[in-house]
Formats: sequence, C-alpha cells, structure tokens
Amino acid sequence: MNALEIKNLTKTFPGFRLDNLSLTLPSGCVMGLIGENGAGKSTTIRLILDMLHADSGSITVLGRDNRENTPLTKEEVGVVLDEVGLPECLNTRQVGRVMAGTFRSWNQGEYERILRRFGLPENKSFGAFSRGMKMKLGIAVAMSHGAKLLLLDEPTGGLDPVVRDEVVEMFSDFTRDENHSILISSHIVSDLEKLCDYIAFLHKGKLLLCQEKDQLLAEYGMLHCTAEQLEDVDPAAVIYRKETPYGVQAIVHRQAAPVSMTLSPISIEELFVFMVKEEG
Amino acid sequence: MKGLLRKDFYMAAKYCRSYLLIGIAFLALSFTGGDRQNLFFVFYPCLLCGMVPVNLLAYDERSRWMEYSGALPYTRAQIVSGKYLVGAIIQGGMFLAVGIVQTVRMNLAGSFQLGEFALFMASVLAVAAVSASICLPFVFRWGVEKGRIAYYCMIGVACTGAYLVPTLFDSGIRLAVSQGLLSAILCLTGAGVYAVSWLASIALYRRREIA
Repeated sequence: MNALEIKNLTKTFPGFRLDNLSLTLPSGCVMGLIGENGAGKSTTIRLILDMLHADSGSITVLGRDNRENTPLTKEEVGVVLDEVGLPECLNTRQVGRVMAGTFRSWNQGEYERILRRFGLPENKSFGAFSRGMKMKLGIAVAMSHGAKLLLLDEPTGGLDPVVRDEVVEMFSDFTRDENHSILISSHIVSDLEKLCDYIAFLHKGKLLLCQEKDQLLAEYGMLHCTAEQLEDVDPAAVIYRKETPYGVQAIVHRQAAPVSMTLSPISIEELFVFMVKEEG
Repeated sequence: MKGLLRKDFYMAAKYCRSYLLIGIAFLALSFTGGDRQNLFFVFYPCLLCGMVPVNLLAYDERSRWMEYSGALPYTRAQIVSGKYLVGAIIQGGMFLAVGIVQTVRMNLAGSFQLGEFALFMASVLAVAAVSASICLPFVFRWGVEKGRIAYYCMIGVACTGAYLVPTLFDSGIRLAVSQGLLSAILCLTGAGVYAVSWLASIALYRRREIA
C-alpha cells in the first residue's frame, strides 16, 4: 500500500498556482520535498491535511481519501508544521494531557521519553521556549501517538546541528518499521539527503522531478571542462551549464557523457539549484 | 473533544482569570442603589463571560493553534463545538451566580417574587446568549480582526437589551402576556439564537481555508 498518493492536485491562490501535482510515497519510505520559499511545499502539506480545499485532483492518505473520515486518518498521521501552534500558556505536562484527550492511541510513556531525550522542561510554558525547543515539542507530540505517516514541514528549522542530527536519526529509526513513512519538506537539503529514499523538487508550484534519490545521484554527474570539450557532449544530455572564467560547469546525464570525461558526483542541493536556475 | 475542552479550560484559567474578579465586583456592585437601577451590573458579568470564547479564539490565532488543530484528529464541527461548549459552561456558571445574587438581593429588599425573578433571569439569559452568538460565526469565518465588527454589533445588542429589559418590566407587555410565557419566550429565543449561531459557525468554519 502507498502511504500517500497525490493525483493531479491543483490549487490556485492570487499570484500562485500549485499545478497538477502528482506524487506517490510508498509505505516504509521517506520522501523529501525540496523547493524554494513559496514553491508550494506548505500548501501541499496543508492540502493533504484538508486544511485547504483543492480546486481539483485527489489525495489518498494511508489508503483513505483525505476528505473522508478525516479524524480517523489524522489519528495515524503525525504532523509538524513550520510553526508549532501550541498554546503559549501550556507547559509540556499540560500539552501531554491535552493530547491524551485528543489521540486515542496516545502513548504518555513515549512522550515523556522523547521529552527527556530532548531535555525539555516540564514546567516551563511553551511561549517561553526557543524556536528549537518549540520544534522539539512538536516532534515529540507527532511521534507519541503511534503514527504511521509523518508529515513534516521544515521540522529541523531552528535546530542546532547536533539536535538536527539527533532528530534526523529519530526519523530514520521511525522508518525502520516498514509500515512507517515520512513526507518531509526542508530547506536544509543535507538533512534530506541523509534521510530520504525519494526526492521531489517543487518550483513555483510545479513538480520538476520526483525520483528515487540513489537513482537520481547515479543518473546525473557534474562535469568540469572547457567550453570546447562540452561541445562533444550531446546537448540533450546537458541539463545545466554555467560558464566561469576558469571553464564550464555542467550537469549532464552520466550515460550520455563521453567515456573519456570524468564526472564528479553531484549533491541533491547542487542538482536542485541548477535545475531551478535552468527553469528560471 | 476532551482534549479541546481541556486546552480551552487551561487557557481560560490563565487568560480569563480577571473576568471572574470583574464579575464578582460587578455582582457586588449590583447590591447598591435600590431595586431596579443597576441592571448593567447584573448583565455585564454574563456578557463578559460570553466573550470568553472569542478571547480564546484570539489567543488561538496568535499562537497559530487554528492551523495546528487542523492537523489533529478533530472535525471542524468539533473544533467549533468546543468553543460553544466552553462558552456555555462559563456563561452558565456566571448565570447561576447572578441568579443566587439576585435571589439574595431581592430577598433583602423584600421584593422577591418567583415570576418576576424568572422573567429577570430569562432576560439575562436571552441578552447574554444573543450577544455571545453574534460574534462567533464572524470570528470562525473571517478571524478575530474582522470579527471585531461583529463585536460592535454585540455591544449594540447589549445596549438595546439593557434598555429594553427595564422597559419590558414596566411596560404593558407584562399585562398582555403572562410572566411565565414571556420568560419562556425569552429563554427559547436565547437558546434558539445560540443554537443557530453554533450551526452557522460550523458551516462557516467548514468553508474556511486554514493557510
């Protein structure tokens, strides 16, 4: 079963259009949603949660239409939004009590374990937390009710590198269960590179690509050469080129590159930046 | 649903504590100045409690709980109903307090009559319920800022109510319609408007997009 299926999803706002988005996240996998600010990442997550109403298209979450029996679906979905919207006057203990009355399968022991792991105080109110602490509490809530799917909108934003690494490890542990899946959006592409099985690039509301990460990295390479050398490469295989005073940098399909040319590995971040620039 | 109520009571205990003190002060002041002259002191605590759900919604908006609750296993109807229930419970508590204070006040003045007392309480109930009902659908549909327009309408209703109720007491309506019937009409009006407002808020909030 697929954890998430999005088909031909379209949503129009004044000045922005999420255009005919189709994505499939298989169970047990992690998909990273990469895009610049305003690319449509948060809109996609809000559409999945039925917080926004789609103009057209369909969304299936854990085998159910996202607009049918929404509470039942959301019992099985853990969510961290870019701003964790808990009431500012509540402390972590009160948040636990509120969530115990919210989720049928709330696991107080697991919640307390994660709070201890993150070093979050029991009696300090949420409003007095730093952005990083707020995010940690949001993650603790999302991971304490037996969710099968995590929808994470910039969950590592505001976290220091050590905690970020720890959080990424927690997400990684979560997906050891083959029924667990994650859709995660982030600007910090290095986190996604560590975690994700699939990568989706969103740009100005359009899906540029959605592919297995390993396949993506195997498919493309970075070529450093002169402008004359680049002319030997099939133009259709060059997806981006940048000329500098020292030569040419180009992203090419590995299979189409001449054997004599040495390609260096490309990172997801480089690939995304180049593709977006090419797209304009 | 339990979680929503629990959260709202935590918030009400933190942010609306002053309402309780103001309510007590106003009820104490209602003892002053004779039998009919301080209706404002009696109505105001109930009106104030009617504003608790709107205030809680304002805090929800500020903390972005409105967005976050969209990610929790609640229907839109449950989210709206939570606020109406909290409002009804808090207003109900204040209504009881007003009832007790009025009973004591009328007895001390030697003017207690059950029919008159019932009519008075029905008037308080109707004005409080109607005023609370005006704001919430607007706030659920357009947010607290735009909902302020409804707040001014509410003030208008409250002022009209404060003017009409004493008039009602002294007018010929009492002669034409029995106190019992008038009390029942007022109670039903208050409850009916509250119910209509509740349903309207659910319908409007379902249409709202939470971005």
